[in-house]
Amino acid sequence: MRLIYRYNNAVVQISETPNEADIEFKIHTLTDEHWAGFKELQKSFEDNEIYTDVLFYAYEDHRCTAIVRQDYYVDFILGLLKHQLLESVEWTK
Amino acid sequence: MEQQAYWAIGIFLVIYALIISEKIHRTIVAMIGGLMMVAFGIVNQETALHHIDFNTLGLLIGMMIIVSITADTGLFKFIAVWAAKKSKGNPVRIMVALAIITAVGSAFLDNVTTVLLMVPVTFSITRQLRVPPIPFLITQIIASNVGGTATLIGDPPNIMIGSAVKELTFMAFINNLAPIAIIIMIVFIPLFVILFRKQIQTKPEHTQSIMDMDEKQLITDRKLLYKCLTVLGLTILGFFLHQSLHLESATVALAGAFVLLLLTGEHMMEEAFTKVEWTTIFFFVGLFVLVSGLIETGVIAKLAAQAIELTDGNMVATSMLILWISAIASAFLDNIPFVATMIPLIQEMGNMGVSNLEPLWWSLALGACLGGNGTLIGASANLIVAGMSGKEGHPIKFVQFMKYGFPLMLLSVVLASIYMYFRYLI
Repeated sequence: MRLIYRYNNAVVQISETPNEADIEFKIHTLTDEHWAGFKELQKSFEDNEIYTDVLFYAYEDHRCTAIVRQDYYVDFILGLLKHQLLESVEWTK
Repeated sequence: MEQQAYWAIGIFLVIYALIISEKIHRTIVAMIGGLMMVAFGIVNQETALHHIDFNTLGLLIGMMIIVSITADTGLFKFIAVWAAKKSKGNPVRIMVALAIITAVGSAFLDNVTTVLLMVPVTFSITRQLRVPPIPFLITQIIASNVGGTATLIGDPPNIMIGSAVKELTFMAFINNLAPIAIIIMIVFIPLFVILFRKQIQTKPEHTQSIMDMDEKQLITDRKLLYKCLTVLGLTILGFFLHQSLHLESATVALAGAFVLLLLTGEHMMEEAFTKVEWTTIFFFVGLFVLVSGLIETGVIAKLAAQAIELTDGNMVATSMLILWISAIASAFLDNIPFVATMIPLIQEMGNMGVSNLEPLWWSLALGACLGGNGTLIGASANLIVAGMSGKEGHPIKFVQFMKYGFPLMLLSVVLASIYMYFRYLI
């Protein structure tokens, strides 16, 4: 089963590529509201007791790279959905 | 010695062995040991309470509250990424920069707290550079123990010594220990580079990704940051002036903590209190009562007399003996219970006519703090970093650490011996 997600290109741009054993997301939010949502997601991962589940690297202009461990991929995607950076998520074969 | 003294020695040795074995959490063991001293009538409850050093506990609690609130602002991540960018993304330079930040942070915050703040950001930077984190973590452990040596608040042994000996003020620690801590760091930095540079090579594109980062984004709450920096600055100033102000260091730290809580509001209080390491605080409480049993039954006095007899009262021999025994013992045992036992022993030497105890206190501080670098179990900071690293899939093995830590520890104690000899003993 694979996770498929959809997002609105007008408010956020997301790309994912493999990075060694992990997945690297490049995220660019186009509104302050979505950036605030993304920062909340970042805080939730940084406040937990696992330091390397998702590592965040912030750049200028509301851009961020997130290196996500395979075992936290689903949590990260669901986090994006929770903070309304994604419109829908579904499992496909 | 009386029967009570033999009971006290028996309880002390059993508890000490259990702490070393690490089979049961050291806080539980120390508290049970302390309670046994009271339950067996070796000390009564009032005497036991009298032996608990509330200055040590207050200082630790105050600093833990201030640092936990400050950490929420993202300040320490900002400093680390800023330093990484100033190092042009070069892994060797970043390793050195993070080691220096750890040493300075350890001196002014305390080394356990500093490594807790540095480890997460180290994982983040090394992942981006695609280099192994362990060389960075080992150098930070070593730097934390050296930096912590420099001040009264830097390392638990110094907090305990500073609290037990009122003449040894914050400035006295800086004047006497900071010079040798700086010398040791200056000697260690090129050695870190030689030892680890081949393990931490990266590619230019990974370096660039560090350079592109915007460290300002890491500051999460600017208003809170200004409040924290103001209070932290005033607290450190308070440490420098505590003797002139006729205040104990714990009063300064607790005043800083509660002024900060006043400024931040009640909502921060609950969270700040949960971040106080109560296990460490109760470990100290248990140890103070445990050692009180040895003091009250005259065991410490007897040991002090034997130490004086062994060295014939010669100050050079006594000082060097304390320095080296403290270093070797602290490398293999937890240095906190060791120092808790040594403090009354040195005080007793004073009661027996040793006139100038100051070199002995510095020998104990240097030996206990620097000795912590000898092995992975030598100091609380080492165990915390190893635990965090292991949990994230990068275990630091005992022998792997000892291969670097033990020779560097010996080198630092040799440097400390030369410093002690020329500054205090000729």
